[in-house]
Amino acid sequence: MTVCDLFDSPDIELYFYHELDARERGRVDAHLRGCAACRQRLDDLRAIRRALASRPVVDAPPAGDWSGFMRRLDAAIAADTTAPGAASVSPRVATPRRGWSLRPALALAAMLALVTIGVAIAARYRTTPAPASVIESASQAPAQTPASELKADPDRSLKVGTAEHLERSKLVVLGLATRDPQHTTAADWQYERQLAGNLLTDTRLYRLQAQDRGMTDVARVMRDLETVLIEASMADKPDRGTLERVQRLITKRDLVVKMQVVASSAGL
Amino acid sequence: MNVGHRETADSDLVALAAAGDGAAFHALVERHRAMVYRLAYQFAGNHHDAEDITQDVFIKVYRSLERFRYDAQLTSWLYRIVMNACIDHKRRQSPAGWAPFTEEAELRMVNTPEERPGPEEQTYGGQLGEVLQSEIARLPPGQRLVFTMRHHEGLKLSEIASALDLAEGTVKRQLHAAVHRLRGALTSARVTTGGRA
Repeated sequence: MTVCDLFDSPDIELYFYHELDARERGRVDAHLRGCAACRQRLDDLRAIRRALASRPVVDAPPAGDWSGFMRRLDAAIAADTTAPGAASVSPRVATPRRGWSLRPALALAAMLALVTIGVAIAARYRTTPAPASVIESASQAPAQTPASELKADPDRSLKVGTAEHLERSKLVVLGLATRDPQHTTAADWQYERQLAGNLLTDTRLYRLQAQDRGMTDVARVMRDLETVLIEASMADKPDRGTLERVQRLITKRDLVVKMQVVASSAGL
Repeated sequence: MNVGHRETADSDLVALAAAGDGAAFHALVERHRAMVYRLAYQFAGNHHDAEDITQDVFIKVYRSLERFRYDAQLTSWLYRIVMNACIDHKRRQSPAGWAPFTEEAELRMVNTPEERPGPEEQTYGGQLGEVLQSEIARLPPGQRLVFTMRHHEGLKLSEIASALDLAEGTVKRQLHAAVHRLRGALTSARVTTGGRA
């Protein structure tokens, strides 16, 4: 290739991409008329454009299916605690999508009913009187409980942890209990499974700790919760029968009420 | 999907999302995910990494909603985030690591080609586009992004410079270097195939 004035400059690319002003463009036009090497450079650019234009444009996951991506993004954002206002923006919490629009209202209604029922029948499920320390601290929020107090009283620490875990689990169980089997999509089911799976390990640990310490009520409710979570998280098909089976388990074991009672006993 | 926000302007969606409207954030993602994915795929060359980069981009968008300047174009803002996500992705893959995207880091990238098979090492079946695509994947990340944004996305060099917060002269040099490499691949392919390309 003959070396010319423009050989090492980007002018031919800028000419090709229409990045030169009129005066510069005229200058390059004049040069091209007398320079075969630069005309070849320009032809190369046209060949590159033609060749790349023949390549498929990839602007979506395989088969154009964004559902998996959107679920993973939702989960990542729901777990993201670094963002300002994370709790309010998270689609998991605030987005009325994929048929979730009624869920908060249903959950709230169910919660109100359960609190009332739970208080009324708490005594039935309490086989032993609550320890005085728990009663005294029943009005305290867990965050207000001094760390030193929890450290000094492992049972109290376990109860507070139990109550917090049950509080987290309650919305998941309510979500499963109130979902309409006839209008549950594969994406919804995947989301429920993921939530259930995330709670499973902690539930098991709390059950084992409660058993070790002889906290029978806590161990029982954790065992029932664990059973429901296993059933929900292991099911890989969004079939109506599976969801109905999970819902029957929740109802048969009176799970939501038990969770409410045990959480209340622990001081939440 | 998100029909309610179909006509809502980007800047309004950002404001709504920043105020806690999850549906508005979803609408933003759905509106721009194809562009982000296209750039990410051009950069990464495979679906797995493209998806990772795309997810990183939208998580960063989510975290930065309150810092969006409403007089700016959302796409310019996104390009910058995509660019940084691509560099972050490269940094995670590279044992040597990468500095944040600065002029200094960009200069390093200019001179650091990817270690992938060149066109002469590939089985060539007469698909010039495939050879060039492969060469694009071997470009240093800075050149690859600038070429992709100019050639595939059709952005003016001034827009790329603005989006990437680089001097326009730097962007020109990146483009020039990228085209030089691609022209070399084109020549090699022609020699390999006896001029069929």
